[in-house]
Amino acid sequence: MTKYTAALLTAGALSLGLAGSAGQSPYVSSSEVVTASHGTGPVTAGANEVVEQFCTRCHNERSRRGDLVLEGFDVADATNRRPTIEKMIRKLRAGMMPPKGARRPDAEVLATMATELETAMDAIAASDPNPGRRTFQRLNRAEYARAIKDLLGLDVDMGAFLPLDTKSANFDNIADVQMPSATVMEGYLRAAGQISRLALGDPEAEVSSSIYRIPRVASQKERVQGAPIGTRGGLSVAHNFPADGNYVFHIMPYAAVEGEVFGRTFGTEQIEVSIDGARVALLTIDRWMSESEPTGLNIRTDSIYVTAGQKRVSVGFIRQFEGVVDDLIRPIDHTLADGQIGIGLGVTTQQHLQRLTVLGPFDVTGVSDTPARRAVFTCRPTLPEEALPCAREIIERMATRAYRRPALERDIEGLLPFYEQGAADGGFEKGIRTALQAILASPHFIFRLERLPTELDAGGIYGIADADLASRLSFFLWGSPPDDELLKRARAGVLSDPDELERQARRMLADPRAEALATRFGAQWLRLQDLDKIHPDALTYPYFDQTLADAMHRETELFFTNLVQEDRSVLDLLTADYTFVNERLARHYGITGVVGPEFKKVSYPTDHRRGLLGHGSVLTLTSHPDRTSPVLRGKWVLEVLLGAPPPPPPPDIPAFEETAAAEEGRLLTVRERMEEHRANPVCSSCHNVIDPLGLALENFDVTGAWRIRDGGNPVDPVGVMYNGTELANPADLRTALLDIPDVILRTFTENLMAYALGRRVEYYDMPTIRQITREAAAEDYRMSAFVLGVVGSPPFRTAQAGAVDDDEPATNQPQPKRD
Amino acid sequence: MHYLSGKHISRRTMLKGASAAIGLPLLDAMIPAGRLWASTEAGKAADRTRLVCIEQVHGAAGCNDLGASQNLWSPAETGRDFDLSPSSLKPLEPFRKYLTIVSDTDARMADAYAPSEIGGDHFRTSAVFLTQAHPRQTEGSDVEVATSFDQLYVQRFGQDTPIPSLQLSIENVDQAGGCAYGYACVYTDTISWSSPSQPLPMIRDPRAVFEQLFGAGGTPEQRAERLATDRSILDWVMGEMSAVRRQLAPADVHRLDQYAHNIRELEQRIQRTEAQNTSGEERQIPEAPIGVPDSFEEHVKLMFDLQVLAFRSDTTRVFSLKLGRDASPRVYPESGVDTPFHASSHHGGREDRVKRFARINEYHVSMIPYFLEQLQQVSEADGTLLDKTMVMYGSAMADSNLHNHARCPLFLVGGAGGILEGEQHIRARPGTPMANVMLSLLHKLGADDVEKFGNSTGQFAI
Repeated sequence: MTKYTAALLTAGALSLGLAGSAGQSPYVSSSEVVTASHGTGPVTAGANEVVEQFCTRCHNERSRRGDLVLEGFDVADATNRRPTIEKMIRKLRAGMMPPKGARRPDAEVLATMATELETAMDAIAASDPNPGRRTFQRLNRAEYARAIKDLLGLDVDMGAFLPLDTKSANFDNIADVQMPSATVMEGYLRAAGQISRLALGDPEAEVSSSIYRIPRVASQKERVQGAPIGTRGGLSVAHNFPADGNYVFHIMPYAAVEGEVFGRTFGTEQIEVSIDGARVALLTIDRWMSESEPTGLNIRTDSIYVTAGQKRVSVGFIRQFEGVVDDLIRPIDHTLADGQIGIGLGVTTQQHLQRLTVLGPFDVTGVSDTPARRAVFTCRPTLPEEALPCAREIIERMATRAYRRPALERDIEGLLPFYEQGAADGGFEKGIRTALQAILASPHFIFRLERLPTELDAGGIYGIADADLASRLSFFLWGSPPDDELLKRARAGVLSDPDELERQARRMLADPRAEALATRFGAQWLRLQDLDKIHPDALTYPYFDQTLADAMHRETELFFTNLVQEDRSVLDLLTADYTFVNERLARHYGITGVVGPEFKKVSYPTDHRRGLLGHGSVLTLTSHPDRTSPVLRGKWVLEVLLGAPPPPPPPDIPAFEETAAAEEGRLLTVRERMEEHRANPVCSSCHNVIDPLGLALENFDVTGAWRIRDGGNPVDPVGVMYNGTELANPADLRTALLDIPDVILRTFTENLMAYALGRRVEYYDMPTIRQITREAAAEDYRMSAFVLGVVGSPPFRTAQAGAVDDDEPATNQPQPKRD
Repeated sequence: MHYLSGKHISRRTMLKGASAAIGLPLLDAMIPAGRLWASTEAGKAADRTRLVCIEQVHGAAGCNDLGASQNLWSPAETGRDFDLSPSSLKPLEPFRKYLTIVSDTDARMADAYAPSEIGGDHFRTSAVFLTQAHPRQTEGSDVEVATSFDQLYVQRFGQDTPIPSLQLSIENVDQAGGCAYGYACVYTDTISWSSPSQPLPMIRDPRAVFEQLFGAGGTPEQRAERLATDRSILDWVMGEMSAVRRQLAPADVHRLDQYAHNIRELEQRIQRTEAQNTSGEERQIPEAPIGVPDSFEEHVKLMFDLQVLAFRSDTTRVFSLKLGRDASPRVYPESGVDTPFHASSHHGGREDRVKRFARINEYHVSMIPYFLEQLQQVSEADGTLLDKTMVMYGSAMADSNLHNHARCPLFLVGGAGGILEGEQHIRARPGTPMANVMLSLLHKLGADDVEKFGNSTGQFAI
């Protein structure tokens, strides 16, 4: 008798009510279940039997729970039910089905069944491989900006040109939702015009102003990164000066409630403007100025001559003292979260910079040398007849870099007229600038077109061309175009060799540019951008400010980068007893010995925090401004870590605010106020799954700080996970999740793959994902095993030529219901 | 046009700072009235109604039984003598002569029609507002709903201006994870569709809007030169695209052709702008706005300034504007309510919270009078811009607490070129589709070839 049959027998026994105590199921020699399995062999019949016995009570034609019907389910017919089976595998592996409270076979039965379904799916995939396909991608905001940085060394904000990237399946690079529109094309065209001018400098630059703002809730007590030592507060930014000329810097401090400059009680302060670290102005702030005066709170420098190019502009107050301020009332970290504090004497307050405006250029004298110009002008014609060959050389080099493949003769021939048109009008420089503008607007630059081979085999599956593979690889690992080495390999035609591909991937993973896996992939997968949307209540969480939020964001990015750089296990995401903090964040976590704004690796002093579930970023972005949200935290775990999003809530849910906040004079905890979720059966079917996951994290407050009380009452993080595991603290939750590592690792792989491919992962990708995860086990789940697994997988290296299967108009307009 | 000219640096500072950077008050700096395209003979012939469609998500507090009984949105009286004082529409009182309130129409195409659609209301309702059609549930590019109201108008009458229409939005829509419950983000992010499968992205940055309207460059010569360069680049891009076409997979060719279509539209825009620039005398262009203001009010008003500017220079005649995004956690402190927008909308039917939500609704409506004032201040030979503009404001959500779509908020304001009487409150018969109103408006606007719009069942007397 196979292990499977034995397990199934146990299950049968359980279902007959013969089970003993949990975990110790007696063996019962009932033959009912086994005899039902005839015909297609015990294995197949077994799975069908389990489905029939345990699933169809809800998943039948009548109830259609989860919009799923499993009556008459037959594994033999798996080919036709692949999407459904993959969903079943997911729920089984996560231990979510059958749900708690329903009749449930032994865990081993379910595991065996899941394995069987997986085996069936993997076999189908092996006999009928489908690497999938997508339409070509276009450079999104982030990729375009990185490409420009790569090509010209300039930092540009693409938000000024392109509409927001549409996200799908967590990521901003999913090809099919990158919808074409005139607005998008206009954005690329405008960007080409502006950026080509910025790069070469623009002797015709008009006066324009750029504003940089600092939020009220940023602490300006310490030096900001990039600013000269000896300053405090203010800001430090990379600013593009379009031409040599005079620029004026407007500085505006924050005002207190009555319009007077905030911090006037402190005394006279000085503010320094520096460019690339060198002081260009030192201004003494008139402490008696006021918004209500005709001159307002405006401070401006004289005209300052600045040469063209990207420079670091820092504006900060001169630091006048060190040490602790021992006032009776002390605004925490001296932010302006509450502008009322500190307007009278007796409270130490300092001035705060609100805004810097760079205005210029005036009296343009020309454009002097800049790194961007050096990147472009690799030759200079000294004689008229040298102009054209030099232009050719520049165009060929720039086009090769921009097009991510060798520039062909026809590319150069196509671009030369732009050079000539510009040169006829304004000389060599203008010619090059116009050609550069065309390059930046070219479809070969903004689109990542992938060429079809001239001949296709019968199955229609073909290998991605070397040049295109190079782009896939570099946008995946670096978020930017390929470097020279990669282009060289592609040109040599060796990149499609799996060994060479792996060698290149390993080289790129070791490169600092692989930080993009953290800042682009990791940040989006973990939803870090949502941190910007949560503003914890300033009165309840006065210590929370922008500086802390930024540190939290950075912590998670550095943590992820470290996983890549040190090639650590992906399970460190849950288990890591180390993290990266600066002084501000260390204080928030109660870690001592970290000084200054730089981040360093530390070990947690207690076992409260481990991995991501102890990161301030994750805990804050899943909170409401005024309270923690076990629902949002549970949802985050389900969606991000387990890949199993809960269904949408029904409308007409009583708002949380409806629940009593206090009872008999005692403030109720968040947990107590959520009792409705358990009491109401409409809610409980989902919230029994969601809430306990989040409740286990109740010891972390809105800002991720450790707490033992909520509203004066002891925090009660105890709950029962959907699979029956008891959870009493964050450690239990971590352990419970680590009990289903496959689920987490597959979810991670799915996300990695979606990001790498630029398409959503479909059911037919799951066999590949399982294989990558299985093979990674032998490598101790090291990060590189997953990355290389994706890179080496058929969906990454091949594609299936198909007919047009999207954008097809089909009519599914329902007829209006009249009632 | 305080917001565009006032900007963030006071004019005074600008003047002191540098004579070259004088920021002239916008309207004064604009084209002399006599040289407006609309005043030329050709322009007059095509002096069509300017159309602005504004969506605010989450319906209104006045759209459930309690709110309706207290007239928090629809006034009690129909006809001319309606009382706006209890209503969120109160800020429109000074413009009541221009106001047509249409109450109690339904947007049932936003309902769920399949089990998988249940609960996904927030992610499809915006797509329904101007289409009154049911969005296909998909996360991919096979999105499908219907050509929107504004675009049906544009396709018939919007081709004379350099830019047929522009789509603007206020809220940052960068939601982590993408959109939910099986709906592609475009259904949530835009209200304008140029075809059932072609959503039009909305622009949030006023600076980007400005440069789309007027192009980049400091002097007329520079602008002309840039436009010419852009045109020759686009021409070349088209050639490059057709050359690469045959090396691509069929689906890629299909998409490339869509891009080519967009590029042709851009080329036409540029040609029209060039024609407009050379037809009159030199156009003076006001200084560009700098970026996205933090404040909702400043942002909305800046967007309104740009619309007035565009109408005034006849650069485009159609705008759609999305004031918010579904399920938005944004807080509007100026409304006096500190609960986030989405949370407020789930008021549970409790009186105090319904009323609180009504204050947010009122705050949103209170943005409109500024726009109307600006339009009114632009006089053209035969009336003000307000007389020629129709602003439609509404939502395909009704009671956002229940996610239902019956008795939705909708009003029209502006002279609309004489097609609307104004000072009217019309209450529709129960069950009337909002689509009927839009169908009738399309006919009144001259698009009388449209036989059916969305789920329309007939005309609506308006």
